[in-house]
Amino acid sequence: MTSTSLSTTETVDSQGEWEPKIMAFCCNWCSYAGADLAGTSRIQYPTNARILRVNCTGRISPEFILAALNMGADGVLVSGCHPGDCHYTSGNLKARARWALMETAIEQAGVDPRRVRLQWASASEAQVFADGVRTLTEQVRKLGPIRREWV
Amino acid sequence: MSGTEDEPRIGVFVCHCGHNIAGTVDVEAVAHMASNLPGVAFAADEMFMCSDAGQTLIKEKIKEHNLNRVVVASCSPRMHEPTFRRVVEEAGLNRYLFDQVNLREHVSWCHMREPELATEKAIDLVRMSVARASKLQNLPIKKVNVLPTTLVVGGGIAGLRASLDIADRGFDVLLVEKTPKLGGNVAKWTHLFPSDETGADIIKPLIRDVKKNKRIKILTESKVSEFDGYIGNFGVTVKNLKTEKEERYEVGAVIVTTGFEPFKPVGYYSYGESPDILTLAELQELPRSEQLLKISNGKPVKKVVFIGCVGSRQPGVKGHEHCSRHCCSATAKAAADLRDRVDEVLVLYQDIRTYGKGHEEFHRMARQKHVIYSKFPQNEYPDVIVKKSKITIKWRDVLADEDLEFEPDMVVLASAMIPPEDVEETSHLFSLTRSGDGFFNPEHIKLAPLTTHTAGVMIAGAAQAAKNASESVIDASGAAAKAVGLMAQGEVEIESTVSHVIPELCSSCHTCLTACAYNAISMDETKDPPIAVVTEAKCHGCGTCAAACPSSAIVMYHSTDDQILTMVEAFLCPSPSIQGGG
Ligand SMILES: Cc1cc2nc3c(=O)[nH]c(=O)nc-3n(C[C@H](O)[C@H](O)[C@H](O)COP(=O)(O)OP(=O)(O)OC[C@H]3O[C@@H](n4cnc5c(N)ncnc54)[C@H](O)[C@@H]3O)c2cc1C
Ligand code: SF4
Ligand code: SF4
Ligand code: SF4
Ligand code: FES
Repeated sequence: MTSTSLSTTETVDSQGEWEPKIMAFCCNWCSYAGADLAGTSRIQYPTNARILRVNCTGRISPEFILAALNMGADGVLVSGCHPGDCHYTSGNLKARARWALMETAIEQAGVDPRRVRLQWASASEAQVFADGVRTLTEQVRKLGPIRREWV
Repeated sequence: MSGTEDEPRIGVFVCHCGHNIAGTVDVEAVAHMASNLPGVAFAADEMFMCSDAGQTLIKEKIKEHNLNRVVVASCSPRMHEPTFRRVVEEAGLNRYLFDQVNLREHVSWCHMREPELATEKAIDLVRMSVARASKLQNLPIKKVNVLPTTLVVGGGIAGLRASLDIADRGFDVLLVEKTPKLGGNVAKWTHLFPSDETGADIIKPLIRDVKKNKRIKILTESKVSEFDGYIGNFGVTVKNLKTEKEERYEVGAVIVTTGFEPFKPVGYYSYGESPDILTLAELQELPRSEQLLKISNGKPVKKVVFIGCVGSRQPGVKGHEHCSRHCCSATAKAAADLRDRVDEVLVLYQDIRTYGKGHEEFHRMARQKHVIYSKFPQNEYPDVIVKKSKITIKWRDVLADEDLEFEPDMVVLASAMIPPEDVEETSHLFSLTRSGDGFFNPEHIKLAPLTTHTAGVMIAGAAQAAKNASESVIDASGAAAKAVGLMAQGEVEIESTVSHVIPELCSSCHTCLTACAYNAISMDETKDPPIAVVTEAKCHGCGTCAAACPSSAIVMYHSTDDQILTMVEAFLCPSPSIQGGG
């Protein structure tokens, strides 16, 4: 990776307001499909998240989340199938098992853990998906641009 | 992997999707930004990328500009990825050198009121995809043999039809039914629409043919207890529910026809408070007789009320929002039949949807026979009061704008079709997702309604959604044709997106063995220290092992660390020169 420090580029909308940048990792089978359904159902939600499709949340290594925060993401969303519903039976359980550790790691790196969100949204839960994006975006908006602080 | 080390020459095609994308996203700006990205040799916007014109454009530009990677920014890849993969392949590119950006479902349709921010998002997503594209690699196209047997789960009208169709074309069927009898729900109905037969009349010849057919192995009182493998080569364990004995089978394809269950409307219209308040399904199961008798005291029924949409079409009530689609017609049929035997028949309804071929006709026939239809308001349900074994029903008639009251001998509730109680078990076994109504999701509601996201597993009949028997049979024949097509080909292409251990990096820690849910990884003990190896045929490509490996020794093809991180970087720290129009 070329960047190891926090990026200083900030997204600014046409009115000059700061817009949170959210990196979203979605599994193909539930949450990506849920996001598709949100579109098909014309559910409107904040534009801040950029979805990256992986087969399963089990694929998402803590390294990806840390890298995103390192590169200047203001928030990171991980969205997958409900426990028990993973297309690969249990990838999401392994993602969940890693999550607590990952939260500790980002806290130690001085990043507020409220900037990351793990959620379950099935292929039919378009509203749950959209609400998740909204919740995280609003939470991050309150926290302000990404910065490191140790409290 | 065979190298694609040559310099990337990426073609980017931004789709208008008519007004669908271009109405919100400035597609020209997106294409213009893309043309300035590193590695991009060609970028353009086009009206409909999935049309013949769009597909031809891709092929022409691949030739003209010697493109070796293609990015299409259009609808969801869950819809058209296979289409565009085929297109690039026809132009001589490996299918894995294609990437799709979702500008419709994930951008234009969900940010309709924010065109500027939507365009910014579109630009980021395209930049991310282009970055990924330059890291994409050729992967081999792999084929596996297809075993010439299909497993059919559920012996209702859909399962029976599918089994016969497959057997008639010369392939073997393993038919698994959990109850002691074949026939499913249709076998129980005494008033079948649109014909004048009973369910048994219809289903008996089918069962006879299935039983006679040597190619169909029937296992009743049995359920699938384990399921593994991949398209063409599934392993199935079937458990006999009585003896608990398990047996193992191997099949090439699967059709799930597990159907539905009639909803028991506890909490609706005093159901359960009097034996004379029953569901339409329960009425249909009563033995056919000259006279309809009260369940409570055996006296003849003179007045009957039917109520429609019971447990159906309730916005906000999970699993009960859908229209059950059979009940308007089934009610009309039963009401018309009963009108000959009782004095008064009343149907209380919200809406009437007798949409099938011939259905409207017997709805009209019911009215001609003086079945009385009365519409009640959407949110003001009729009141059914049981007092000392007398039933009183009060409701508001919308058309007369009047409050009415009636004392029927019997109340019949046309209750919803809901999934069978063990549906969750079935969905986990075959990795099927379910929609809001609780029934299984097809691969695509319009383009692929019979296949699912588990390659080689089809769905048919009421397992997919509430529907009537003829629709279920149409599904069944369609799904059977899919299975036969697969088996007749004898071989099928499978995804090459599997994981791979780089032996030199493996530290022999065994972490990946526990991470994999499919036992696809084992340790090669002939090496010292032992190193992990992936059995590709068993790998489903979830990538969990790659995320778990502490030594970064596992490469998940088509979803490598590098391919993922490069997208994160392209979003968050694009080099200033490539920020393009963003
Ligand atoms: C009251 C009522 C009246 C109706 N009247 C009509 C009518 O007049 N005309 C009409 O066209 N349609 C009618 N329908 C609709 C009709 O019943 C359905 O369309 C039809 O039954 C669907 O057939 P199927 O084979 O898909 O499912 P089902 O008939 O539900 O059969 C599914 C079979 O799968 C079995 N099964 C379930 N789970 C498992 C499992 N895990 N393992 C193994 N086996 C399993 C079940 O035991 C069952 O045998 C009516 C429905 C209702 C409720
Ligand atoms: S078919 Fe008719 S009675 Fe049944 S849920 Fe639909 S509208 Fe209601
Ligand atoms: S997790 Fe990685 S290092 Fe450990 S055994 Fe598996 S491949 Fe080797
Ligand atoms: S990618 Fe998933 S299925 Fe394949 S070996 Fe790794 S953990 Fe197992
Ligand atoms: S496939 Fe969705 S979490 Fe595993």
